[in-house]
Order: sequence, then C-alpha cells, then structure tokens
Amino acid sequence: MIRFITRRTLGAAVTLVIIAAVTFFLFFAVPADPARLACGKVCPPELLEQARHNLGLDQPLFAQFLAWLTGIFTGRDYEGLGRCPAPCLGFSFVNRAPVWETILDRLPLTVSLTIGAATVFFTFGVATGVVAALRQGRPLDKIASVSSLIGASVQIYFAGTLALYYLVYKNHILRQPKYVPFTEDPVGWLSGLALPWVVLAIIFTANYTRMTRSTMVEQLGEDYVRTARAKGMPGRSVVMRFALRGTMIPIVTIFGVDLGTLIGGAIITEQTFGLQGLGQLSIRAVTNSDLPMLMATVLVAAGAIVVFNIIVDVMYAVIDPRVRLS
Amino acid sequence: MTVRTRSAVAALAIGALALTSACAEGNQGGPATSGGQSGGSSAPAEAYKPASITVGTAEDSKGPAIPPEGVVKGGTVTMIDRNDFAHLDPAQIYVNTEANFNLLIARSLTGYKRVAKGDYKLVGDLATDTGTPSDGGKTWTFTLKDGVKWQDGTPITSEDVKWSMERTFAPFVTQGPAYIQQWLTDVDYKKAYKGPYDGKRLSSIETPDDKTIVYKFTSPHADANYALAMGGYAIVPKAKDTKEKYDKEPFSSGPYIITSHVVDKTVDLERNPHWDPATDPIRGAYPDKWHLEFGLEPLQVTDRLLADSGADQKTFTFYSSTPPERLQQVLDDASLASRRMSSPSPYGNYYYFNLSRMKDAKIRQAVNHAWPSKQIQQVMGGPAAAALPTTILNENTTVGYQPYDLFGKTTKPEGDIEKAKALLKESSDPTPTIVYAYNQTPVQERVTVVIKNALEKAGIKVVAKALDRKTYYDSIGMVKNEFDLYWAGWGSDWPSGSTVLPVIFGPVADGTPNYSHLKDPALTAEMDKITAMTDIEAANAAWMALDKKIQETITPLVVAENRIATMLHGSKVGGAEIDPQQWIVQPNTIFVKP
Repeated sequence: MIRFITRRTLGAAVTLVIIAAVTFFLFFAVPADPARLACGKVCPPELLEQARHNLGLDQPLFAQFLAWLTGIFTGRDYEGLGRCPAPCLGFSFVNRAPVWETILDRLPLTVSLTIGAATVFFTFGVATGVVAALRQGRPLDKIASVSSLIGASVQIYFAGTLALYYLVYKNHILRQPKYVPFTEDPVGWLSGLALPWVVLAIIFTANYTRMTRSTMVEQLGEDYVRTARAKGMPGRSVVMRFALRGTMIPIVTIFGVDLGTLIGGAIITEQTFGLQGLGQLSIRAVTNSDLPMLMATVLVAAGAIVVFNIIVDVMYAVIDPRVRLS
Repeated sequence: MTVRTRSAVAALAIGALALTSACAEGNQGGPATSGGQSGGSSAPAEAYKPASITVGTAEDSKGPAIPPEGVVKGGTVTMIDRNDFAHLDPAQIYVNTEANFNLLIARSLTGYKRVAKGDYKLVGDLATDTGTPSDGGKTWTFTLKDGVKWQDGTPITSEDVKWSMERTFAPFVTQGPAYIQQWLTDVDYKKAYKGPYDGKRLSSIETPDDKTIVYKFTSPHADANYALAMGGYAIVPKAKDTKEKYDKEPFSSGPYIITSHVVDKTVDLERNPHWDPATDPIRGAYPDKWHLEFGLEPLQVTDRLLADSGADQKTFTFYSSTPPERLQQVLDDASLASRRMSSPSPYGNYYYFNLSRMKDAKIRQAVNHAWPSKQIQQVMGGPAAAALPTTILNENTTVGYQPYDLFGKTTKPEGDIEKAKALLKESSDPTPTIVYAYNQTPVQERVTVVIKNALEKAGIKVVAKALDRKTYYDSIGMVKNEFDLYWAGWGSDWPSGSTVLPVIFGPVADGTPNYSHLKDPALTAEMDKITAMTDIEAANAAWMALDKKIQETITPLVVAENRIATMLHGSKVGGAEIDPQQWIVQPNTIFVKP
C-alpha cells in the first residue's frame, strides 16, 4: 500500500510539473506583456526595461521557468518589489504581493464551500439514488428520477439568483451569504454558507442520484448479491455491505474529480453569491491580465484534482479488496 | 499641458462608474455600457442643475466641514463595490475611485468643499486658503494651517509637502497626474528630475519656513490651485516614505487610519486621533468606522441595497450604478425616492471624425444634423439613463459653462435629415461613404444599427466595422487608421476647459487622445493663449467660446449621448449624494443613522 501511494504521489508530482510547464509557456506566449503591466501607465522605454529586468523577463524563457520552479521551493527576490517567500508561485503585478499570500487568503472560503456542498450533495445524492434503486419503477423512483433531471438542468446562476432574491432579498429568510472562518464563529460559518451549499448541491446531487441509482440497480442483479440473499442475509445488510460497496467505486471516482474541480474554484457560484474564493480570484486574474496569479490558480486547481485522484485511488483499495490484492 | 495616453486601468464594465479622472472614459469604446434596455425606462428624466464651483476664501477654508442635514456622528458604515483600489500611494493615484477613497486618509493643499447639493467651493485643505499667485501666475505661495498632523501626532510641515511633490518624479511613480511636475520642470519631467531619493532636491519648490511652500513654475498657470486639489497631489510624510511599498502602507493625514486591508476583499478604517476637524473644511468624518467590501457586481450591489435588510441598511456604494436589469424598477418605485441618487456623467463622450480622411466640413456637419440622438438615448435606456449634451465641454465640470446647440439636438433630437441632405448637396460628395468603427459590445451593436439607419436616410452610406473590445483604443489611436468615425471619451481634471480642449486637440501621434487628428496652428495658438491667461474667469469664458468656435468652424466631432448614473443607498445611511464632478459618492458627508 505504501509503495502504491508513493508511486502515485511521484506520478502526481511529475504531472504537476508538466502542467506547470505547459501553463507557463502558454501564458508567456500570449501577447500581454507582464513588464508593461507591472510598469504602469507612464512607462518610458528605460523604465520598461528596468521592469523587465526586475521581473527576470530579460532572461531566456526556459531560464525564467526554472527560476519560477525553483522559487516554489526556495522563494525569490524581485528587485524593487521585495521578497517572495517559498512557496513562491510568482508576484502579482496587480496586487503587488506574492500570489501565494492571496491564494492562502482565498483558499479557506473555497475549501469551506467545497466541503459543505460536497457533504450535502454526496449524502443526498447517494441516499436518493439508493432509495430509487430499491424502489425501482415505483413512484419514489419516478420522483427521484424526475427531480434529478430537473436538478441537472438547472444552472447555478439561475438557481442562485432566484434563491438570493426570494430567500434573502425579498423574504429575509436567510442572511446574505458571507464567509466567516469556522474557527472564529462556527454558527456564522454555517449560516453564511448554507445557501451556496444548497444551491451548489442541487446541481451536483442530480448526478449522484442518477449514477447511484443505475449502478445500484446493476449491483443488485449481481451473483454475489443474489448469493448473499440466498444464504439468508437480511436485505438491509445485503444492500449496505455488498451492493452499496460495489456501487461506490464509480461514485467515489466522480466525487474525487468534483472535489478537485470545486477546490479549483466554483467560479459561477462564487460570482453569483459574491464570495471571494479562488474562483473569483481566477476571474479577476483573467480580466486584469494578471498572469502570475492566473498561473498559480491554474496550478492550485490542477494540484487539487491530482491530489483527489490519489485519494480516490487509495479509496478504491479501501472499498474493494480486489484492488489491494492486485 | 499634459497629454496623457488613455488609461487601461479603468475598465468600465456594465453598471460601474470606475472612471479615470482626465482620461478616456473607460476602455469599452462606447458610452452606453450601462444602459442596455431597448425601449428605455418609462420614468421621466430628472431635471439636472449643473454643479456650481467657485473659489472660496480663507474663511471658507476653515474647518469644520458643513454638516449635511440630520447628521449623526458614530457607528460603522459599510461600502460595497466591485473593485479594490489599485493604489493607495497618492503619487500613483489618478482614477477617481482611488482619489475618492483617499480623501479618508490623505489631505492635499487644496480641495473641494461641499456647501450644498451641487454647490462646491475650492478651498484650502492643508493650506489656509487656495494660494496666492504672483509673478503673473508663475509663482504660487501656500501657507499651512496650524494643527495639521500625521497619524502619529507629528506636525505636517512644508518639507513634507515639498517631498511629496518631489517623489512624484521618481521612476517608480508611473500612474499619477503630471501637470505640476511639468509646470515645475519640463514636459519630459521624468528626465528633468529623478526624485529626491538620491539627495538632489527640486529648486523650483521653496520652503522658507515650516509653514510656507512656494511653487515656481516655468510659465503662468492661473489654475494651479485647482490642479493641486487632485488626489494625486495629496501628501506623503518624508519620515515614513517607503517608496514603492508606500502603496500598501500609507500613513494617514486624514480623518481615518487603515486598520486592515485584504487585497480585493476588504478594507477597514478607524478614526485617526490626531486629525482635527477644526482644520478641515472638507471632510465631515461622521462614522467612527468604515468597512469596505469588494468583489460584488453592480447587480448584486443593487439587489442588496434594494432589499435594505439587516446590516445593508447601513451600506452604500461609491460607484456601482444600477444595471439595466434593475433600472426601471429602481426609477419607478416611489418608495425608493429617499434612497435613490442620479447624476449625469461629467465626462465628455464624442464620436470623432477622422479629419485625415473626412476632409469636407459640410459632410461632417451633415452627419451632426442627421445624428439620431434620441434613438441612441432609447437604446441606452431612455431619458432617465442618458442625457443629450450639445457642447464639447461638460456642463458639470466647466466653470462659466455656456450652453449652445449648433446642430438642433434639443429641438430635433431624432435628427434633421432634410438639413443634412441640404448640406450634403453643397459638399464635395453628396453621397459619401463613411467607415464607422465601433466597440463590439451588445449595446454598441444596437447603437450602430441606429446610427447606420439614420445616416443612410440622409444619403450617407455607413460601413460598420466592429473592433475588439481589448484593442479598441489601440485601433482608433493609430493615426493611420482606416476609419472615418469612432467613439472615445475624455474628462477634465478640474472644472475648466484647460484639461479637455488642449488634450483632445493636442499633438497628433499614435496613442494620443487627439482622435480627430485636428492639426490647426491657429487653434493651437489660441489654446496656448488661453492657457497662459492669468485671469481665471476670463480664461474659463474663453474656453467656452473656443468650444463653440471649434464646432462651428471645424466640426471635428459629434457630441455623444451622456450616461446618467442611478445609485441606491441603505435606509440608515445619510448624507449620500453623487458628486457631480467626480461622478462618485463622496465619503465626506456620509453618516450612519441610529
């Protein structure tokens, strides 16, 4: 198992370096000049040259990439801008601050949003899917199927805007979504993020319901389930210990990808509810042509997906003993 | 006179008024960025009274500020908007949103005092009055007030004021205004002086004692007292100057101190115990604390202020204008009257003729007569969302404004096709073809259709050319562009034609704001003559007369429709009003009701 995790971790590190390299070279291939952005409006040629030098942009592109990569482990000094401590993912010319500082500031909100929403959509999605599978063809199954279809069709900006209007602005049932650190005020954290969690969950729950239902129906028809039933095992145990376990393999796979994607930034959700997480940060980086910030957010998003994929791989081994044995 | 390239920092997206001071109005390439409703609002247009701006006396320059009606001191006010402030170092401040915020933490020699709604006076802020000109306007002397202090209690001295100006020459300062620097040295002021950090000081600023500061310009400048009121000329303490880093750690001379700043998220302010209201005629500083939140789109800001629930009752916005989706609701709802603010843009919006290509004045005048102002106004959201100005200089930002209407915009806002046809008959080409370049936004697409239809009725064929939003200004800014007509905006730095006409009709070069490529030695000589005038009232009158003369004799542009901003504030916020000059809600009069 340790060998397996080590191998996957090393693979993930290589993947991240490749992603970083591709991102770096792609962004530096775009026509926006970071030195000009850093230099400002009144920027005579000599000042532009100075800015280029300060940012290391007068070096060959590969040397720049190496310096950037090294900076992640050792930190970097930007002349005229200051020290960017490790892990230095670059220096934002717009914020005039190391990008890692800003990312660390935004990450707790995005993690909170992800954890809360994931708890809701995973729990409800799987539970509804199991119930629908067990009541196959009955009204409960039909209701679950139609609901999931509607849920999958709804867009966050639509559901979010409606929810905000009716629940917050018009009827004052819920408070304006706001992030308060859990460590400061657990109740405030919960009430501030409840609405985005629910709206985000509406969209995601549908996928989990549908996938759980179809896989569970498949699993319930498998020989080992039939054998368990034939041996007299109670129905509840058959479902929970055998069928559900088999069902969870594909569910855990998409759950890992979804978690990684959400950590990378629930852009539309954050935008709809005015929350300042990684998603909003990415959007602003794009609109401000803040390349270092954009690269860092892409890398964080990629890192999240890679990490959750490793966790999913480990979970396979936990859920399915055959993986461990192989 | 400064010629500035357009600013790239003030992207004016839908519904936000984040604008530059004297520079292009955003970079969207069209005045209709906020109004997107076809058909427009049914609400009647409010009658606007242009702002009155006069020069105050030494008595007017004494504190405290004139309180707004029903003022209450104390409490915490919240401000919500989309963007954080890119700069806090006064030397780097040029956009109005940053200058507006900086009023809370930084003071200048002069500033604008609100006397009543729409009535402002230029007064001494740190100075005892608006300065004394001598030597025909080449020398300006200011005396600092007693009791003006930094946030650590040390007195503000003339050396600090001198240092603040000198540091604006430093290479790291790339964003602020350049007027005073050029007047003190040369047009290429960055080459003339490199700033005080290497020990060299500027001899054209004298500080005979701790209280007196003397500026010695190379030529007369009757409006130097106005120029010094710009946010970019607020002061920085010599003892606390951290060069580039000052942008993130400003030291307050104003009524508040920044206690927390999370970039792009929040700013929190608390009172500066060493600020004395008796020395400040401009800032009321009524709330005890300020909490500013960023990252909210204008629609979210409007929805929160419409709901007016909980803490949002004590919330307002500096510049988030009501977006088209909510404009009609906001204008039609009588219950919002006490929380609604509206003001037309103080910026000049123009459709420039490219004189390098459109050489016949008769054709340019015909276009002006055929111009479908009313139809464009409808596209922008109706009379409540757009005004129809008739002059180059804006009525809100021009002292001594005199209206005129050469092309019948007031009498025939839908355009006078017959008059246009008659002029075309007299021209060198009765059926001209013009290439109209526009910024490819949904609203501009609709405006283009309206323009095309109207001009074609008069016999002018219009070839519409869509330009990419990001490169719009670069494209129209090329002298050898292949367009005949295109939109661009400009605003004045202080209420006079001196920062408008010499700029938009200044040097012709790639990237300069003379988009019409108007090159007329007689006009340049006349502008130089007015700039050198020492009698400010006579100069203002001369700028206004020149405005009319330019349109009458040359007609280098069509005066475009002007957006009207409508904003809301929470029910427990008092003293909120849009500054007609800056087009932003000023913090000076804001208070929180219990």
